[in-house]
Amino acid sequence: MKMTPALLIVGALMVFWASSFIIVGLPSLTMKDEPSDIWRQLTPDEQAGLRLYVQNGCSYCHSRYIRINDWDIGAERIAQSGDYVGQEPAILGTERTGPDLSQEGGEHPDDWHISHFNNPRFTSPISLMPSWKFLGAEKIRQLTAFVQAMGGKMADSRMKRQNHYKRAAIAAFEAGPDGNITWLHSQVPEVWRKMPNPYPATEASLLRGKRIYQDFCINCHGPIGDGQGMAALQTYPPPLNFTTLRRHLVENKYIGGIFYYQIMNGVTGTAMPYFKKHLESEKIWDLSNYLGVTFLGFTDANTDPRGIDAAYEEEWKNNYQAPELPGQPGK
Amino acid sequence: MTRYFKKPNSASLAFMVAGAVWFVVGAVYGMFSAIHLVSPEFLPEVAWLVFGRERPVHVNTMLYGFVGTMLIGCGLYCVPMLLRTRLWSEPLAWGGFVLWNLVILSGPLGFAFGYTQGREYSEYTWSADMLLMVAVTLIIINLIMTIVHRTEQQLYVSIWYFVAAFLWTAGNYPIGNVMWHPATGAMPGLIDSIFLWFWGHNLPGLFITPLATGAAYFVIPRVARTPLNSHTLSLLGFWLLVALYTHIGGHHVLQSPIPNWLKAVSIVDSVAMVVPVTIVVLNLWLTARQRGAVVWGDPAARLVMAGIVWYLITCIQGPVQSLPYLQRVTHFNNWTVGHAHIAMLGFGGYIALGAMYHILPMVTGRSVYSARLINLQFGLITFGLTGFFLVLTAAGLVQGTSWNNGETVYRVLPQLRPFMVSRAALGIFILTASIIGLINLIMTITHGRKLAPEELDQAEEGL
Ligand code: HEC
Ligand code: HEC
Ligand code: HEM
Ligand code: HEM
Repeated sequence: MKMTPALLIVGALMVFWASSFIIVGLPSLTMKDEPSDIWRQLTPDEQAGLRLYVQNGCSYCHSRYIRINDWDIGAERIAQSGDYVGQEPAILGTERTGPDLSQEGGEHPDDWHISHFNNPRFTSPISLMPSWKFLGAEKIRQLTAFVQAMGGKMADSRMKRQNHYKRAAIAAFEAGPDGNITWLHSQVPEVWRKMPNPYPATEASLLRGKRIYQDFCINCHGPIGDGQGMAALQTYPPPLNFTTLRRHLVENKYIGGIFYYQIMNGVTGTAMPYFKKHLESEKIWDLSNYLGVTFLGFTDANTDPRGIDAAYEEEWKNNYQAPELPGQPGK
Repeated sequence: MTRYFKKPNSASLAFMVAGAVWFVVGAVYGMFSAIHLVSPEFLPEVAWLVFGRERPVHVNTMLYGFVGTMLIGCGLYCVPMLLRTRLWSEPLAWGGFVLWNLVILSGPLGFAFGYTQGREYSEYTWSADMLLMVAVTLIIINLIMTIVHRTEQQLYVSIWYFVAAFLWTAGNYPIGNVMWHPATGAMPGLIDSIFLWFWGHNLPGLFITPLATGAAYFVIPRVARTPLNSHTLSLLGFWLLVALYTHIGGHHVLQSPIPNWLKAVSIVDSVAMVVPVTIVVLNLWLTARQRGAVVWGDPAARLVMAGIVWYLITCIQGPVQSLPYLQRVTHFNNWTVGHAHIAMLGFGGYIALGAMYHILPMVTGRSVYSARLINLQFGLITFGLTGFFLVLTAAGLVQGTSWNNGETVYRVLPQLRPFMVSRAALGIFILTASIIGLINLIMTITHGRKLAPEELDQAEEGL
């Protein structure tokens, strides 16, 4: 076959257009843009947030669809084609330097996001996400509106829950430190409240707890556990001051189970996230011991009621004394 | 001044110089991106240097600016030369040059301040898209008129690839960039990802690949001083490329909810891509057969040959990562970034540099200032890129397997750190190499030894 100019030009174009028809023409003709069960229209604020999302290249670090093999945020909902109707553009993304955001709405309350956008390391100490402080408060508000809408109606129902508990948490916080803790603990199921930490607070375990505290908690609860981390600037209620817990041990002896439950489950409505996706049981119990020993000077590790010690445990005796309370002798 | 715009091959030289400059600019932005993935608090108040804004500058400047621009420069020399004529209109090529580079300049000037359409590889705004289309049209007119005025009857393979690259781009670019929606450059809803990855894949596949293949087909037989191994293989490689490559954009969104038949087409044709790639690689390899010492010994041709090796590696990796089961692990992480670098720098970049150095004496009338600097550049890039490939692939596997086992993205961040530090360190080698290349190019133009007319003729006839 001899390549003539006519063959080159006409041939190359014909093959190209025929191929292109299959790959973009047919989908254009056949793909239906029907809203899925969770779809809803974006409000003007959310729409403005979408523009900011596109302009600032959030999509180079965040994807917008959940696959069948995903576990991280959003894994409750595998993406469907109808989730994106009308969004222009709905950039799906190719990198997960940060987590998928397709179901981000309602994962956190607004104050968490505002703090996070101002400096992601405030809420997430080892984050690689850039700070967006330079965008200014108004644009950060719009971005927040948009991420809170990601997930459509599923996000809305999560937001409803956030807002409901946000009101309760604020009321409790404004009732003073003791009232606040009483409210916080009343949210923890009874069985967890009277549960001591079953695992010994050995030196190794405390070191592990410290490492996790530094990677996950330090910029909220602060290096000395007083709740004065950088995130306290924008979150309300601010992160808890652990030292006040000293006078709120359940029956003046239990705190391990409360720590475990609160860390696992988070305190919806406040900036306190749930950590059950990030941290497995070993790490949460270690944290629980670390918080107690470091900030309360007390842990209930290995106290009664207790079961059979786990095989790996060394001989370890709990020498921590429960605090002396006014009018009530310590144990 | 106007005389200069009519000087034969002046536009070709201008494209090559611009390519070398963009290489340095792109590498600087690449370094900033790499540093930010190690230390996000580096220069926190500089809004135009946040990761989300600098990354597209890096990527677009490298692809359109460095690889694309330099290869266009090579093409503008090769096509008239192979047709034994002059470029139909040198000023028209200069027009294309100015518009094309304005488009690339709109990256650092625009994206950094939020003027972007934000879709990967289609970030240029609508007005830049228009300029780019005009530039492409000017180049097409010029090439076709050059063919019309040719004195050599036969059209050599390189010409098919160079001409077709622009014909295809003229169709691909406006569709993928959804140019009929000027405000967003996007379709509403999920279907946008199909348009996006139509161009997202055809930018490498039907723009960079044909330009680089054309340049390799030009350089290798000339340096080896033998005719091309097989005309039939050339034909097969060319037609299969366009028939198959056009289809495979879907493999970028393989696990998203796009229709299943589209996924099937993308996977099948991605795997089938092995055929045209093997054909091209074999054809060039067999051409250089038994002349290995000459080809690998020539600093320019060595870059081209190494580019072909990277092409082979890229296109073995490519079909593998198109398989849905494997992509559960390789998708969404640095594995793909590794692929992108060996593809774009290894295949596209190496061949662009090699062809540029090969052509440079003919367009400047001077011998290349320093062959040792070419070798140094080759060594630095090869070290940097091999490191990139190993480090990023390893990082990708760590991310992908951890996620697949249920670890969260946040939990895996500390594991990434050593890889990201190594990548930034390796980037310094590539940045240095880009600067050395630019210096060598400028020194050639200003200080290179002037070639005597008979030396020049000899160069043009083949080495
Ligand atoms: C350099 C990559 C990068 C860029 C760019 C980026 N992010 Fe992130 N993002 C991350 C990482 C890493 C995390 C996980 C750590 C954290 O929570 O900060 C994250 C987390 C998030 C989260 C919290 C997810 C959760 O619930 O834990 C949101 C919301 C978010 N990013 C939104 C955005 C928006 C909006 C933009 C654009 C303005 C953006 N990101 C740009 C990397 C990035
Ligand atoms: C984004 C900020 C933030 C981060 C990060 C954070 N917390 Fe909290 N934490 C809070 C807030 C806010 C509260 C509730 C304050 C309130 O309602 O008064 C809280 C409450 C708690 C409580 C409840 C105590 C109780 O007695 O009920 C525990 C335990 C706790 N945090 C532990 C942790 C641990 C451990 C980590 C790290 C793994 C962590 N937090 C990370 C903000 C944060
Ligand atoms: C100085 C050397 C370089 C450095 C430090 C560098 C660094 C980077 C970084 C940090 C990213 C972003 C990755 C991410 O989002 O996780 C990136 C992406 C990219 N770079 Fe480079 N790069 C360099 C050279 C090059 C060259 C020479 C080319 C092409 C010729 C290139 C092409 C690309 C492409 C195509 C992407 C997008 C990858 C993807 O989306 O998968 N880079 N680079
Ligand atoms: C046989 C040939 C090839 C096949 C089958 C192939 C396949 C793929 C696949 C499946 C991806 C997506 C990976 C993912 O996101 O999980 C990808 C990404 C990419 N490929 Fe290739 N590839 C081939 C050749 C090339 C060549 C020759 C180039 C460049 C000239 C190239 C450049 C890129 C780039 C830049 C990306 C990154 C896109 C992004 O930003 O996500 N590929 N390739």
